[in-house]
Amino acid sequence: MTLLALRNLFQNKARLVISVGGVALALMLILSLDAIFTGMERRVTAYIDQSGADIFVSQSGVRNMHMASSWLAASARAEVEAVSGVDSVTPILYITNMIVIGDERNLAYIIGLPEDAKAGGAWKVTAGRGQPKPGETVIDRGVAEKSGAAPGDEAEILGRKFEIVGLSEGTASLVNSVAFVSMADFATLRGTPGSVSFLLVTVKPGDSAEAVAARIESEVDDVTAQSTTEFAVQERKVIKDMSTDVIALMNAIGFLIGLAVMALTVYTATFARRAEYGVLKALGARNGHLYHAVLMQAFISVALGFALGLIFTLAVSAVAPRLSLTLALEVSGASLIKVGAVSLIIGGLAAILPIRQIAGLDPAMVFRGK
Amino acid sequence: MNNEAMNNGKIQNPNDQTCGERSRTIPKGNTATLVVEQVTKRYGAGATEVTAVRDVTMTVAPGEVVLIMGPSGSGKTTLLSMLGALLKPTEGAIQLNGDVISALAENRLPDIRLKQFGFIFQDFNLLSALSALENVALVAQLAGAKGREARKRASDLLTDLGLRERLNFLPEKLSGGEKQRVAIARALVNDPAIILADEPTANLDSKIGHEIMRLLRRIAKEQNRSVVIVSHDQRIKDIADRVLWLEDGQFKEMVTMAIDPVCGMSVEREKAAAALEVGGTTYYFCSKGCRAEFEGEQLKGR
Repeated sequence: MTLLALRNLFQNKARLVISVGGVALALMLILSLDAIFTGMERRVTAYIDQSGADIFVSQSGVRNMHMASSWLAASARAEVEAVSGVDSVTPILYITNMIVIGDERNLAYIIGLPEDAKAGGAWKVTAGRGQPKPGETVIDRGVAEKSGAAPGDEAEILGRKFEIVGLSEGTASLVNSVAFVSMADFATLRGTPGSVSFLLVTVKPGDSAEAVAARIESEVDDVTAQSTTEFAVQERKVIKDMSTDVIALMNAIGFLIGLAVMALTVYTATFARRAEYGVLKALGARNGHLYHAVLMQAFISVALGFALGLIFTLAVSAVAPRLSLTLALEVSGASLIKVGAVSLIIGGLAAILPIRQIAGLDPAMVFRGK
Repeated sequence: MNNEAMNNGKIQNPNDQTCGERSRTIPKGNTATLVVEQVTKRYGAGATEVTAVRDVTMTVAPGEVVLIMGPSGSGKTTLLSMLGALLKPTEGAIQLNGDVISALAENRLPDIRLKQFGFIFQDFNLLSALSALENVALVAQLAGAKGREARKRASDLLTDLGLRERLNFLPEKLSGGEKQRVAIARALVNDPAIILADEPTANLDSKIGHEIMRLLRRIAKEQNRSVVIVSHDQRIKDIADRVLWLEDGQFKEMVTMAIDPVCGMSVEREKAAAALEVGGTTYYFCSKGCRAEFEGEQLKGR
């Protein structure tokens, strides 16, 4: 029966293209949406993940950056530096605001960086410098390109014009981007001298971020200290709750549509051979034989479609960032396992459906030409 | 004598007069007697009830070719389906070598169909994705033959049926006659006792149709298999040992065929021009001339 499954699938090239191509396109839709969702989730915490810090220290009770406000006294820096296991402390100022270039307005995390920052700056600079001096800013390349700006041009941030001295990459998501200015400018413009938003802490080799964070919380008053990993988790959670639910819903709908298309493709491929399976049943094939043949055919077409769909998705993942710098597709192992497993189950069910009808059929129907 | 090309357990390629040496020996057929006792088949219930077959009784002996004829809707196909364990009668019993197959549980019927019956369909019903060889071998595999053995049996049968050059052809590349010969090979591959054919000549031209019918007769006579054929085709009456006329689900008329020993023509016993009993055997003749010739031969023999 395996031979029959292979022949049914490969004998007619047009049918092969339709059945495997249909499955591949359906799975590409699912994998791409999953990759967009995963990529978006990763991108929204890109700043935290790439900051270089092991621990984020914030005002007590503040557990993330998005839509949050954190203010710490300047003295907190010294107190944190005194905690055992702390290697360096970089204070940053932070607010969500607009970058205005010409008529373009882009929402951004504005980060005020000290000149000696050991963490928290741009991690990938594609043009110019990553460390802004007073009167300068470093913005995301995608934002600059969208606004038609380049190093040397001006951008308005916090109500003041800054010269763009550097372009960073990987600092934009579907939600916002990140722009860097000097801490001095930030403090002046916001009128917050002597205070900071977050302390970005690196720990000494051999110490764990969680253990040092716990020590900071116990030794320094009115702060919340979380490992960068935990801080990113909290950030994702907040953003997911606020905005990515819509994308998650779209992803789920896309997933269902993809599965439906795949199921229909597999169903049609099996249905087209329904009469032949009926003949086999009349000749004496047991229902087990029929199920074996159709499941094998479905699994092979789903496996081929999955491989093809993955190749398409990887191709889209490579091309999409070139077209839109805010879009990052990330194909995760978990996504592959989930999509692969569900596809096999749905493909199998879709193939069994027409055969179930045959299994329950009177084999004499074949003699009657039905 | 009938001019069928057959010799002791071999089927000779109907298209190849020189293939006798090449043809292979097919095992002598599995034999069985099929007994149908007062079988009725009804569909539906109440006002919509239809009786397709009504109180039919018949016996098919090993080596016998029975032709069931009748108008459309007379119940021929329903009867054939019941004979082949494809359909259960509403009443009555069907026995194969004394076993009541009509009473067997559904899960035992596939094995009976695979091993005791060979089916030949009007539309050939070959699997379009498989080659001629694979179509036949698959049915052997369903019955438990291993891949290599199944392919060998299939290849031998197809070669015997004159399809050696077509083994790897897909059905779409075969002519109607070739397709029906593949279907016959498929029907024979598990060495069944009984061959059931539903309108086997319906999609064939007259010459090929007759060739196929002669082949079926050879199979019956040479291998002692029973062959039951359902057909509208009056031209194939001469290959049958018996012709049954089914109308409104009942046999109306039974015609027993015989071969004129002189000219080889098929004649209906009941309408034979002449008959003669010699040594306890009755011979039937198409004409008085044939009988006279036969009598002359008998006298010479004495």
